[in-house]
Amino acid sequence: MVATTPVDRLAPGDHACLTYSDTEERLDILAAFITAARARGDRTVCFSEKADELRAALLDRGVDEGFAVTPVDQLWGARKAPDAETMVELLARELRAAIRDGHRGLSITADMCWASRPQANAEQLLVFESAVGGLFEGGRFTAICEYDRESFDPVTLGYAARVHPRTVAATVYHEDAVLRICRQHVPPGVRVAGELDYTRAQALTDALAEAVRLDRDIHLNLNQLAFIDAGAAAVILRTAAGLPDQRRMVVVCGEPIERTLTIAGAAEVPALRMLVRHGEH
Amino acid sequence: MVNTERTGSVPGRNTPNPPPRAAQPRSRSRSEVPRRLIDQTFNRNDLYALRSAVGAHVTQVADERTAEDVVLIVHELCSNAVRHGGGSGRLQVWVAGGALHCEISDSGPGFAQPGLVGQALPAPSLPGGRGLWIARKMSDLRIVSDDSGTTVTATIALR
Repeated sequence: MVATTPVDRLAPGDHACLTYSDTEERLDILAAFITAARARGDRTVCFSEKADELRAALLDRGVDEGFAVTPVDQLWGARKAPDAETMVELLARELRAAIRDGHRGLSITADMCWASRPQANAEQLLVFESAVGGLFEGGRFTAICEYDRESFDPVTLGYAARVHPRTVAATVYHEDAVLRICRQHVPPGVRVAGELDYTRAQALTDALAEAVRLDRDIHLNLNQLAFIDAGAAAVILRTAAGLPDQRRMVVVCGEPIERTLTIAGAAEVPALRMLVRHGEH
Repeated sequence: MVNTERTGSVPGRNTPNPPPRAAQPRSRSRSEVPRRLIDQTFNRNDLYALRSAVGAHVTQVADERTAEDVVLIVHELCSNAVRHGGGSGRLQVWVAGGALHCEISDSGPGFAQPGLVGQALPAPSLPGGRGLWIARKMSDLRIVSDDSGTTVTATIALR
């Protein structure tokens, strides 16, 4: 198993692999990567299968305008099928253009799911990942290659992890068969997925304590949380109620979670805001 | 969290899993035959599986939102039994008279004043005490405590 790097520890010139199954986790890592790249003066481009959807999701998370999202098939230009050499040439050209335009460098994220399609030669993926290596010299080019675990077989995922000098992953506070609690980077806070009851409420207490220390406003992402009980809801209310003046906790969740938090007394806590996502899943 | 003062339990009468009180559903003066959905014992390790079972069964007879409410109510009452009622209990869920009935019984010390527990929402700074409050808000709750243990019945109208 390759050691993983949190996205806020990636450095300019890194070539990182992101294998994901949780879309919330993927979006958070991309958002943090783009925000950091823009802060250091890089031009940022996301190559995505669903460009419009990705742009909207990143803006929704509070990423500032000014990043580009491009359909991934533009990587192979006029060619009908993905071609590794064409892709590397295009990226080299983009990098030169970014520097010529006064940027410090170029940071990209690339959705690699083209390589799982039948018409795409999987060997093009192998050629691409090794040929692109030269671009990273000098620290002007930084990339995250995204691999959806649903789309790739374990052999390819294993290859992807080996060929990238770094594997980027979420900072996990707690993980077991029913519950996963991670650090969220953009907006900063905590993300919880699965089911949360009093038997695991201490894990949430600890994660929120770190967020209280690190962040001004705490963003608690419960979009992927299917169940919360009174004991765990009490942890959220108590943490929000204990925040100093002017600081807030913003909870993003679906309707069932909102109902439970409301009946547990959310309205009694002025520092707590709930943003409800309707009709998801 | 709740008042766990002993109410003078008599040794020997505390059976961990009391025998099915078959008369309970059947004694109802309804012509409708009660439809039994769940009858199982549980302990502290079973709460996750119990929620899953309750959700699966109740979605067969109720809409999604009602099922979500019932999962929460049953979880709170069962976790009360686990934490304050001797560590284990028995859950029965049945449909009768256009309503869903969830009965959780345990053999632990009961409530000295069952009518008073869960009637007020605790302050946000307090860690517990919301389980029975939530169950009362979401269902018609009946609590019976005696020497042999506590039986809580939550009744939820089916729309």
